[in-house]
Amino acid sequence: MKLPLWRRRQDRELDEEIASHIRLAIADRVERGETADEAARAARREFGNVVVVKEVTREMWGWIALEQLVQDVRYACRALRKAPGFTAVAVATFAFGIGANAAMFSVIDAVMLRPLPFPQPERLVSVTEVDQRRGDAGSSSVAWPNFFDWRSRSRTFERMAAYHERAFTVVVGGRPVHAPGAIVSADFFSTLGVQPVLGRGFRSDEERAGSDVVVISDSLWRSEFGAAPTVVGSVTTINSRPFTIVGVMPAGFRFPISVPAAQLWVTCAEEARTEAPGDTPMTAERGAHFIRVVGRLGPGVTIAAAQADLDAVSAALAREYPDENSNRGVKLTPQLESLVGGTRQPLIVLFAAVGCVLLIACVNLANLLLVRGAGRGREIALRLALGASRRRIVVQLLTESVVLSAFGAVGGLLLAAWSIRLFVQIAPTGVRGLDQVTIDGAVLAFTAAVGFLSALAFGTLPALLEARVAPRAGLDDSGRATAGRRHGRVRAALVVAETALGVVLLIGAGLLLRSFYRLTTSDPGFDGTRVLTAKFSLPDSRYPYLKQIAFHDELLADLNVLPGVQAAATSPLPLSGLHYSISFELPGAKVPPSQQPSADFGMVGPGYFRTMQIPIVAGREFTAADNDAAARVIVVNESFARRYLAGRDPIGQRIKPGLSTTEKETPWREVVGVVRDVKYKALNEPSRPTYFIPYGQGLITSLFLAIRTAAPPAAVVEQVRQVVHRKDPELALYDVRSMDEYVTLSVAPARFQTLLLSLFAGLALALTAVGLYGVVAYGVAQRTREFGIRLALGARPGEVLQLVLGSGLRMVSAGVAVGIVGAAFATRLLGSALFEVHPLDPATFAAVVATLFAVALLASFVPARRATRVDPISALRTE
Amino acid sequence: MRGPRYQNRIELLQGTLDLLILQTLQWGPRHGYGISQAIRTVSADALQVDTGSLYPALHRLERQKLIRAEWTVSDRNQRTRVYELTAAGRRQLLAERSRWEQISAAIGTILAHPGAAE
Repeated sequence: MKLPLWRRRQDRELDEEIASHIRLAIADRVERGETADEAARAARREFGNVVVVKEVTREMWGWIALEQLVQDVRYACRALRKAPGFTAVAVATFAFGIGANAAMFSVIDAVMLRPLPFPQPERLVSVTEVDQRRGDAGSSSVAWPNFFDWRSRSRTFERMAAYHERAFTVVVGGRPVHAPGAIVSADFFSTLGVQPVLGRGFRSDEERAGSDVVVISDSLWRSEFGAAPTVVGSVTTINSRPFTIVGVMPAGFRFPISVPAAQLWVTCAEEARTEAPGDTPMTAERGAHFIRVVGRLGPGVTIAAAQADLDAVSAALAREYPDENSNRGVKLTPQLESLVGGTRQPLIVLFAAVGCVLLIACVNLANLLLVRGAGRGREIALRLALGASRRRIVVQLLTESVVLSAFGAVGGLLLAAWSIRLFVQIAPTGVRGLDQVTIDGAVLAFTAAVGFLSALAFGTLPALLEARVAPRAGLDDSGRATAGRRHGRVRAALVVAETALGVVLLIGAGLLLRSFYRLTTSDPGFDGTRVLTAKFSLPDSRYPYLKQIAFHDELLADLNVLPGVQAAATSPLPLSGLHYSISFELPGAKVPPSQQPSADFGMVGPGYFRTMQIPIVAGREFTAADNDAAARVIVVNESFARRYLAGRDPIGQRIKPGLSTTEKETPWREVVGVVRDVKYKALNEPSRPTYFIPYGQGLITSLFLAIRTAAPPAAVVEQVRQVVHRKDPELALYDVRSMDEYVTLSVAPARFQTLLLSLFAGLALALTAVGLYGVVAYGVAQRTREFGIRLALGARPGEVLQLVLGSGLRMVSAGVAVGIVGAAFATRLLGSALFEVHPLDPATFAAVVATLFAVALLASFVPARRATRVDPISALRTE
Repeated sequence: MRGPRYQNRIELLQGTLDLLILQTLQWGPRHGYGISQAIRTVSADALQVDTGSLYPALHRLERQKLIRAEWTVSDRNQRTRVYELTAAGRRQLLAERSRWEQISAAIGTILAHPGAAE
């Protein structure tokens, strides 16, 4: 065994000490007349085995603390085993408290804290354009030409890449497969720092039109190409054009973070193409903002330096292209932060909530320990009398708390492991990391740390109070009562504190519940029941613009022949997450393009408003006659009419949206109808001014099918599929969902937050009830004799009942009062999460107060009843 | 790990030996050999402290800060390690003594009344 340096010195000293022992013994013997030889031999014999003595002595070094700890832990386990009821309640209470925290932390860790799975992820930043007139709210997607200029002119970035999501249809073995994917700039993979495992990434010359190359995901490679290594270099059909597969990404590579995950990546050559000579490709449209940009900062470059660099570039661009780029700035955000985005606030609210639950659990445990401590006064007094120091006793009692919390933490982790599966199931989709929530090292460390700190939090006060017992006082019987009364006030304060926390949580949950109810019962403006929706994308190569329109017309006609079916087409679909906005001109004052107002915009087919049952307030809806050959028409919603056409009859007014397809010039359109407002973006956001254009006069993207059915939508899916397959066997129908599903999906984040907060609030209420019950029950047990005397002296049971209930309700009232004040501040945190509910909603506050009092009454009633049944004779005899 | 033999012996002797050591040091600092000789002489050779128990006990008490050790030069001009009681040690000695007296009184009472066991 090799000893550490400081031990070696100690070891030498021990050698020396033993040598001096033997020398002293020899000297004594010589003095008594023995010869030097005899004395030396006898002294050595007497001393014994030097090696063994050294060994057992050495073991005393440094093990005392550990031995004491082992001793304390053993003692704690024994003490806990002797009180199984107390132990069970305490461990269960703490397990719930810490379990909720462990589960919530594992979610926060996966979503907000875990770094992105790329090399040096801290150097990745998201770059957006920003409308400087609107500040941070004006953050928007980027136009290809702007990205190209940023990339070539900036100096602070090592690399910069652009991407946007796009769905593709891949034909493998004659079968069309729908594959979500992305269109990216050539340096996309190198910016992220991940290279294909097979083949290569994109070369910079592959951004030019005509280079049809694709990189596929590991899962597409396995599912559609049999994981054959020969796939690299082979040609496959994507959107009806031949593409060469140049690479396969490693398993687990996921970017953009979309649901479902991207399966293939093609270069922006896809958007450098034009349908007809003379058209402007998307990569040259400085006014079309739809791509996203991720940059890798150069080594040592700060985000502020990069921001300044790009600010200068964008200022130059604004001067060079005033029409498109005046007022357009740039905003840099750390990539992780931009991905976390809107999920931060709800998660923090939930984390605060579980923190409160844990606090309540700790308060309960402190109370339980105090009650238990009062019953143990005699034991502790005895140990003090026998010479144990107060410090030792405090440490010992704290050890007991730590042991309790360790058991609770283990139980809590089991609860968490089980509940995160539930979390993930009800969680909204599309949140980064939510599908990777696990109990990992970070969660274990967090749980251990929180468990230990909690043990100190709930254990310290009771331990200090208990150890303060006077050695003598505990030994006679009267000591019990005094100790009990002295801690009574502390216990009451703890109950007040936990009631207050419970009130805050319940009010928060109550507000969210009410808001969620309002949200789900709010009128979206359309009727989504029995509406089936689906998507398909027509490959541009086989379907030039006019052929696309004809295809939609024919497909809708074929679908409308099906019994009980009323089919329409639209984009975007309400609540589908898509959203377009295009600027427009009104007759009169000519304003420069960068100053034009802009409104939300939809392309719809004939019969769309009828299919979705969106009421037409004035005029008419589109018909099949509103085609490319007919006069240009437009329908607006009520908000648009109010805002931009106020004071006039909207019908017959003229509007010029910045949108042209087959026309030589952007056409003026005549308003032919006004429709009721519809919630397009989200149920909790007010409808915005919106206009609609018939797809026959402006189809610029693929459409959703919206099909109202007499039968349940699921029953019609197969028929719809067959109709589409008959029209074009290479088309894959995807995102087949009922409209109700979109409604449900759109409220998923609200449901997640509401459900969890309600769960935590319920837990808080239960813990508070248990805590109150414990304190009142203990109070009754303490005053058994007093009640016996009162009853013996003729008090009616009702009076005793009132006495006990009164003490419970007094504590709860104080807690409720504090809680209401706390809630008034805390509910501000919910702010934007509330829909049509005021953070100080009196109904919610009243309901919570009523609930709490009801639960408090119930919790104190059980022990109060016991007080009325005290037998005066036996109560007096216990003394 | 410590063998079961030594563990048993130390646990058997621990309380008593600690008390004896503390008591011996009450009258002034001594080295290990001096302590063992004192216990032996005062008990008229009835108690002989095994060095395999004495030194572990001394080092443990030192760690518990009940005694303090110092290297000095003895009257025979030898460098020796000398132990002395700390304030905590004095308190501990008092507590241990009263405990010992209680126990021995209790045991004495029981032994004096052979019928009491029933």
